[in-house]
Amino acid sequence: MHSYIIRRLFAGAVTILGVSVLVFIIMRIMPGDPLTAIFGLEGMTKLTQAQRDSYMAELGLSDPLIVQYFNWIADIARGELGRSFFRAESVGEMIARRGPLTAQIAVLSVILSWIIGLPVAIVSALRPNSIGDNLGRLVSITCLAVPGFWLGMLIVLALLFGFGYRAPLTANGASVFEDPWTIFQMVIGPAFVLALGQAAYITRMARSSLLEVVREDYVRTARAKGLNGRLVITLHALPNALLPVITLSGILLGFVLAGSIPVERAFGTPGLGFAMFNAVKERDIFVMQNLVFLFSVVFVFLNIMVDLIIAWLDPRIRYQ
Amino acid sequence: MTPPTEVPSIATPPAASGKNSLPARVLAGLLGFARRSPLSAFWGVISLSILAMAVAAPLISPYDPLKSDFRRMQKAPDEINFFGSDQIGRDNFSRVIHGSRISLTVAIAAVLLGTTLGSIWGLASGYFGGRFDIISQRIIEFLQAFPDLILAMAIAMALGSGTGTVIIAIAITRIPFGGRVIRSVVLSTKELSFVEAARSLGASHLRIMARHILPQCIAPFLILATTHLGVAIIIEASLGFLGVGIPPPTPTWGNMLADALNAGIVPPWWLVLFPGLAITITVLAFNLLGDGIRDILDPRLRGSV
Repeated sequence: MHSYIIRRLFAGAVTILGVSVLVFIIMRIMPGDPLTAIFGLEGMTKLTQAQRDSYMAELGLSDPLIVQYFNWIADIARGELGRSFFRAESVGEMIARRGPLTAQIAVLSVILSWIIGLPVAIVSALRPNSIGDNLGRLVSITCLAVPGFWLGMLIVLALLFGFGYRAPLTANGASVFEDPWTIFQMVIGPAFVLALGQAAYITRMARSSLLEVVREDYVRTARAKGLNGRLVITLHALPNALLPVITLSGILLGFVLAGSIPVERAFGTPGLGFAMFNAVKERDIFVMQNLVFLFSVVFVFLNIMVDLIIAWLDPRIRYQ
Repeated sequence: MTPPTEVPSIATPPAASGKNSLPARVLAGLLGFARRSPLSAFWGVISLSILAMAVAAPLISPYDPLKSDFRRMQKAPDEINFFGSDQIGRDNFSRVIHGSRISLTVAIAAVLLGTTLGSIWGLASGYFGGRFDIISQRIIEFLQAFPDLILAMAIAMALGSGTGTVIIAIAITRIPFGGRVIRSVVLSTKELSFVEAARSLGASHLRIMARHILPQCIAPFLILATTHLGVAIIIEASLGFLGVGIPPPTPTWGNMLADALNAGIVPPWWLVLFPGLAITITVLAFNLLGDGIRDILDPRLRGSV
């Protein structure tokens, strides 16, 4: 197990290194000056060449690319994530303030996706190709086709016109422990929308995995000793069938992190996704660079955690 | 796996003659497809209708999608504007129809480009193996460490807005899939005896790849291309919604939803409902068609994710 953990962490570190290089390259091929983003096209023409050079030097953008890259890595190592072009807040402060909201949305959506997806999968796998199975498949295929941000906009509109209800847009700095009800109202909408998309994948995976497991000998033994069909599924087959579903849930976290950008925009939730939306809109490359990197690191890290959990649950994997 | 004797017949189809002409064979193939899976055939017809709608958009749409009518601003759906009109009096119905053009062009071009590049990469890295393969696998792993939408968003933002950029941004997110799937096909194919036979006859690497291995990759390529169309449409719409897609005033479904949200605190329902419904129906049709094509081309995958 130890060697497995070390190997997995090492592979993860290599991936994160590669990701940092890719993020850096993408953020530096942007055509035109970053100064255009700050001063606007008109403002740019009013700057003298000397002013432009001094601003670029101040931003650290006139160094050679390789120096810029290592400066960035050093900054991250020191915990300084740079500043926005437009806001007084540093990127680090922004993450500390907005991050918890997005994290809560992600966690809640994963929980909801299991609550929605697993029962459907069990019903489908108990009677494959029955009406319930086909209905479940139709619903999950539809869920995959619905853009989350659009569903979010519809939900906001429906609640507003149907019940005159609008979820609070801010908790005034209160954390989930101080004001759980407000936070819950803020995160439940985005979490539900993001959960639906995940639930569709979870249902498919859990169904096919269950159908595979029920063919195994130990399940037949359980049936042969006279155990009730439903008990066989839930107590004997399900725990083994869940392993690939846990892995899938880790991969789907990428879907949640990325999906949180348009979905938070649709709901107006002030999380990291919304911050990313603002950074894109304002061409704020430092914020963008650090947030994209952060999202990818979180994604890679969570997948390592999922792999370790799977290895802990299933000894066959760690001895490979 | 297709027996080797059939490989040349894929590369060199029998000469067209009277009864067995190309249109007749295509028609027979399509009828067979419809008989084998009527549901996918139904969604295939829907997909084709959406495609036809995109091609004939200027003929179908009653108004110019870019022209404002200031006497009819933000009107609810009625008999003049079937889907209502937006804040500056443009006909929502015409805009939804024209939106299909960009969505489909971008999705099809991006998926073809990305899957093709990925497949060539996968073909080369699977065939040659060695250090090139190891490095390729690593790079693909780095690319997959980004969630799709975030990678597409960062690239679209870095390259500046425009149709070409959006296509490239989405195509890059599709490369890892092509690379992985085709590589695994190549890895199993290149060990087969007909490849060994070709090599022992002195065929060059290029010839072996093009004549003997490539035909085995066609079915997985088609499966990849069709199953990823839906995702590409959703990413395109999300990019438009986030303001890094095709720049306005070009009507795209994502742009229209963004406009609806930017215009006021409470967007009118018809400006939200119809573009999103168009996305949903299109993605649903393409996904189900893709599933049907996959089931026919590769029955072993039936029912899997």
